[in-house]
Order: sequence, then C-alpha cells, then structure tokens
Amino acid sequence: MVDKQGEGARGQPATSAWSVPQGRRTDEWSQCVVRIAEHRDRAAFGKFFSHFAPLIKAFALSGSSLSAAHADELVQEVMLKVWQKAAGFNPEKAAASTWVYTIARNCRTDMFRRLQKFDTQLEAEDVGFELEGAEPTMALHASRGAVRVRELMSDLPQDQAQILAKVYMEGKSHSETAAELGLPLGTVKSRVRLAIQKLQVFMDVGSEE
Amino acid sequence: MVKYHPDTNTLLEFAASSLPAAQSVVVSTHLQFCSECRQRLAQLESLGATMFEDAQPIDINPSVFDNVLARLDEVQEVHAANDANASTMSWTVKQIRKGNLDELDWKKVTRSLRIADLGEIEGAAEFSLYHIAEGGRIPQHNHSGTEMTLVLQGGFSDESGSYHAGDFIIREAGDIHAPTALPGSDCICLAVLEAPLRFTRWHHRWLSPLLQLRAG
Ligand SMILES: [Zn+2]
Repeated sequence: MVDKQGEGARGQPATSAWSVPQGRRTDEWSQCVVRIAEHRDRAAFGKFFSHFAPLIKAFALSGSSLSAAHADELVQEVMLKVWQKAAGFNPEKAAASTWVYTIARNCRTDMFRRLQKFDTQLEAEDVGFELEGAEPTMALHASRGAVRVRELMSDLPQDQAQILAKVYMEGKSHSETAAELGLPLGTVKSRVRLAIQKLQVFMDVGSEE
Repeated sequence: MVKYHPDTNTLLEFAASSLPAAQSVVVSTHLQFCSECRQRLAQLESLGATMFEDAQPIDINPSVFDNVLARLDEVQEVHAANDANASTMSWTVKQIRKGNLDELDWKKVTRSLRIADLGEIEGAAEFSLYHIAEGGRIPQHNHSGTEMTLVLQGGFSDESGSYHAGDFIIREAGDIHAPTALPGSDCICLAVLEAPLRFTRWHHRWLSPLLQLRAG
C-alpha cells in the first residue's frame, strides 16, 4: 500500500491542483482529504500517504537537518495530524498540497525546538497564523502565482534558487543561510527579494516590491 | 488603515517558520490587522508548497505506514491531553491575539507608562507590552539589538513618523528614539527586543558549534 501507486500518481495531480483557477478544488488530493474527513476513509488516507509521505521525508531530510529516524518520526506526526485535522480542511480555500505543507512545516519547527531542548513553551501553531482564505481573491492569486512560479523557477539564477531552497526546504533563517554560505546577511536578503520578484510571487497584490 | 508592514524577508521567514517565536507572535498579530499581508503570506506559503511538492521523493519503509495506521484511533485523546498542558506562554499569546490585555501582569513604571513583561521566549531579550497614557512619553533610549514593535491600540509618534493600530515598526540596533503616545487615547504596543546573539537556533548549536563560535 505504501509502495508506488499506479502510473501518473506523481506530478500530474500537483499541476492540476494549481490549474483550478478558483472555487472548490476538485483535484485528487483535495478530494482525498475530504473523504478522510467525511468518511474516515482509510483507503483514501493510504493513497494520500503514499503520495505525500515521501515528500515529507524529503522535506525533513533537506540540508540533512534531521536524522533518518527523526525524518520517519516527522512523517508519522504529520500524517497523524492529517487524519486529525482533515475535518478542518476547506477545499474552497486551499489546495491540499499547501495545507499539508503548512502542517509539515509546523511539525518540523516543533521538532527542531524539541531537539535543541529549547524550552520555548510554544508550538509553531501558537505563534503562526492560520489563513482562512477570508480574502475572496486569495485562492485565485495563489493558484495563478504557482503556475507561473513553476515556469519561472527554471530560469532563476542558481545563487537565488539555492537560497530559496535553504530558506524554505531547509527551514533556515536568513542569518543561518548567510553563515552557512559565508555571505553577508544583506546579500542573502537581497537575493531572496530578487528571487521573489523574479518569480512574480506578489504580482497580483499590488505591493511595492 | 495599516501603513507599516513587515518586509518581504521577514514575512518569508515567517512563512517558512524560521522566524523565532517572539518575532512570530508580533508578525502573526500584525496579520490580524492586515489583509494585504495575509495575501502576501498566502502567496509565500504557496511558493513553499510548490517547492515542497517538487522535491525529490524519498522512499518510506512500509513499517512507518503501519505505525501510523495503528495510532489513528489514539489521536483524539493525545490532542486533548496537549490542550490541558498548554503553557503559560501559550496562554499569554492567546490573550494578546484575543485582545484580553487586562488579564496580563502590568507594572507601573512612570506616571504615564505601564509595562507587562511577558516572560522568557525564544529569540528575545525582552518581550513585553507597553501601555503609554495619551500624550505620555517613553524616555529616549537606544537598543543593543533590533526592536520589533506592533501598535495594538491608539498610536504613537517619534522622530521618524506616527504610527497607528496595526502598524509594524522595526528599529535597528543603535537607533535612538523617544516615542510619545498620540493624543486622544492610550497607546498599547507589543514589543520584542531581539536577543543580542543572533545564532541561537538549533542548527548552529547542534550541527556546527565551530560556525557558531565564528559567527558569535
Ligand atoms: Zn501588513
């Protein structure tokens, strides 16, 4: 069940998720989460697991920040949260992939904090912000942005792509990124801003980027 | 109308969950005031999700799935237990987010200034709320680290401008200012003074102590 599913399971759903311009998402993974929520459907859960668990493991091991055992533990934590929080997933407001990404991100931050034994007394959820899609245009912007992002990502200069990977996939702060790459903090900051600009992440918001 | 926002770098660190806890509280409280930044956050999160989806998948041992299946039914109880163990800091952050500021532990400092010290938290040398009576002034001061401030109620002005509810302000180390509450209503601000040592997160302590020494 955990092994590779039928052909086309990977890659295709990812793009179709973003090609739905607005409204209720009907992609495979969003429907999967809805079935998990409504019917406690273990088959749907297994399918979701076989697609996302290997991505969560890759996310955990980015930059070798966690051991393989911790990565497996993270996969378990995230997938248990998927089961537990499925009822709160709203396909009108978010793609399932973004939803599971934010869960994985929060769980990983909590694991980082536990491992360094930093007694923050706070979990990532306590200090984060759960977007509820209150802005009617948000889903539209996000989906259009992601289609472009994939197109533009391949043209991104290597030094900018590398920094984005450290910041997102490895979860490193700008200061940590600067220290690891032996770059001034200001250089990291400006490369991040350039990358965000090139990827046109904010193109629809009318920000002063 | 919110005029001052976190910059792209700060919002991205927040979106990627690499901002320390104290600073994250300030940013997330700003987001309650600001739909523009909520949109920006949504877009930064979808960029993160895109990179996550495009990662090279790594095979999972089937026993991991079996373990998860075996634990599905215990999930609800674990969750309830966590709520019961919620920390003081977690409670404090909830009060701030809800605006229940009277519940916090305020100390009178001067005739026009009260401060609630919110306690020790990752990333901060000081994490506190300031209550400045209308027209009152905070003595001129500078700081050793970056100070992040969010106006929760009322407003204040200093040498650089005037700020109102929802505004997010950064003052770099060494900046000197003397904020004065605007007339009309008392001003309440949430403020974080960055811990002096920048490299406190786990990557450096755990993986690269040499790097930490050099960086420090
Ligand atoms: Zn804002």
